[in-house]
Amino acid sequence: MRILLAEDDAMLGDGLRAGLRQQGFVVDWVQDGAAAERELSGGDYAAAVLDLGLPLKDGLDVLQSLRARKINTPILVLTARDAVPDRIKGLDLGADDYVVKPVDLHELGARLRSLVRRVHGQLQDILSCGDLVLDPAGRRVNLKGESVLLSTREFDLLHVLMLNAGRVLSREQLEQQLYSWGYEVESNAIEVHIHHLRRKLEADLIQTVRGVGYTLLRREAT
Amino acid sequence: MKQRHRLKSIQARLLLPLLGLVTVIWLGAAMLTWIDVREELDDLLDGHLAQAAAMLVVQQVHTEDDDVANAPSLHKYATLVAFQVFHEGQLVMRSANAGLLPMSPKAQGFATVRLGDGESWRVFAARGMARDVQVYVGEQTHSRNEILWAILNSALLPLLFALPLLALGGWWAVRLGLAPLRQLSQVIGQRKPQALKQLESEHMPSEMKPIVEALNALFDRIEAMLASERRFTADAAHELRTPIAGIRAQAQVAMGADEDTAQRLHALQATLAGCDRATRLVEQLLTLARLEAAPNTPHTEALSIDLCQVTRRVAADLAPAALTRHQTLILEASNACPVQGNDALLGVLVRNLLDNALRYSPDGTAIEVRIEHRQGHTVLTVEDAGPGMSEHDQARLGERFFRVLGQGQTGSGLGWSIVKRIAHVFDARLEVSRSTRLGGLAVRVDWPARP
Repeated sequence: MRILLAEDDAMLGDGLRAGLRQQGFVVDWVQDGAAAERELSGGDYAAAVLDLGLPLKDGLDVLQSLRARKINTPILVLTARDAVPDRIKGLDLGADDYVVKPVDLHELGARLRSLVRRVHGQLQDILSCGDLVLDPAGRRVNLKGESVLLSTREFDLLHVLMLNAGRVLSREQLEQQLYSWGYEVESNAIEVHIHHLRRKLEADLIQTVRGVGYTLLRREAT
Repeated sequence: MKQRHRLKSIQARLLLPLLGLVTVIWLGAAMLTWIDVREELDDLLDGHLAQAAAMLVVQQVHTEDDDVANAPSLHKYATLVAFQVFHEGQLVMRSANAGLLPMSPKAQGFATVRLGDGESWRVFAARGMARDVQVYVGEQTHSRNEILWAILNSALLPLLFALPLLALGGWWAVRLGLAPLRQLSQVIGQRKPQALKQLESEHMPSEMKPIVEALNALFDRIEAMLASERRFTADAAHELRTPIAGIRAQAQVAMGADEDTAQRLHALQATLAGCDRATRLVEQLLTLARLEAAPNTPHTEALSIDLCQVTRRVAADLAPAALTRHQTLILEASNACPVQGNDALLGVLVRNLLDNALRYSPDGTAIEVRIEHRQGHTVLTVEDAGPGMSEHDQARLGERFFRVLGQGQTGSGLGWSIVKRIAHVFDARLEVSRSTRLGGLAVRVDWPARP
């Protein structure tokens, strides 16, 4: 899952980025409000972690202007402002969650997953599609009750496809969800990962829509 | 005690002097009436005596009677008046209450005498020269006093009734006059401590406008103070929580970096740096708290300190860090630059100024520190080639936790508060401007001439 982290403090930002990466998130880090707004307007992020006391543009202003422009990326506000009026203001301006520093990295990860899940209309963290079960927190995949070993990219790709089950995602969309900035994505990387997934799971699980992209069909559990 | 109690109530302060004044004026008026009436009454009654005597004299001229005639008593007041008529030394006529001897020792004119009955009498003697007639007409003086008392009573009695009425009316009027004051106290009394909006002063009596305006000004000041405290709390929360959140995140990253030794090492180093930062922050907060709590303790007692020596010491401490960033620290100081201060606190002040200058200057630039001593003033100037500061930011400099965001620096915004506070303790003036020589910030600390 690709996350935008907006935090101006170098040490905290560095720690959050490393900690979220350990949990399998793909993290882009910006250090001011203007950059945060720019990235969230253009980029395809599953969610964002937004500090409020940001230089150039305050976090609340970023939040307000994004929501005014109907950009609905789930945003978790991470701030030192713990007064109840601040929380209310943050949530009312369009934050999906409000967390006061300091925060446990695993809790932060869980909250981000929960936000993303809710956006996709799911109630449980565990995703399933037929006999295929994916546990984002534990980063485990089971097929017919048996564990399947996937690489990081393969897992992320399957996660994105399962979150968007029934929707067709283009290669560019998948690339944006999977890679952070500055990463040279080889032109056939997604195809290679899809190929591996098909081999490790079931061949007909992921469908190719020629000229458009890929999709994972919804299935009821058997 | 009683006096103090009386002063407590405006109502009493207005009423008591008012009633006292009315009483004094009334009594004075009564006294003047007494004196005036008494003179008039004496004149009038003396006139009557003289008139009566003259009539008796004139009558005696026509009467040819050698017997002593006793005039009948015709009125209840008749006993209060008496007369005698002598003809050639013989008593020829008298009133019943008059004796046989002449009432007055004088042959002519007024006399106040005490007669056989023990009463004081006012007697007028007149003489008819034509036929040797001697007439005395007397009147008891106490009857005069009775009339006087009656007049005085009618002047004073109303006062007795009027005073309580006046007090009541005055009390009511004063109470009415003070109503806006009571309303104001009610309005203020019912306010919640957070309600600092302005009191309405438009329809206030002119006497109360200054009070209300002063109160409004006070409310404004309190509100500004509260806002500043709220901002301080919010900023303090941010500044204290961020390093702790950073330390926590880095520690967790270190724990989670299973085989990645490089990542663990990096995270642990960042944890340590975070601890150093938190320590520095705590130290700054404590310095500031001590300065604010006890600005005049012996700890901050001003001695004559050589500022050059202090600055040289601080510059030597900071130079190695500056050299690693290829920054040049230049100190220009004359030989003797005594200032009033405290060695340790001046060190803190200079260190904060130099530290800021080094921190916000790009690598490879120069920082100039100058100490000049002229006309009794000692002036410390620190100039850098950093980004400087907008006028708006300059004005906010020294607010606790204020710092210009987006500089990529980890300052807490407390250094300036400390500098400002120390400068204030030792009466030094602090000025911030743009450096004309280096393009960055120029800070001047000016110690005035010693008195």
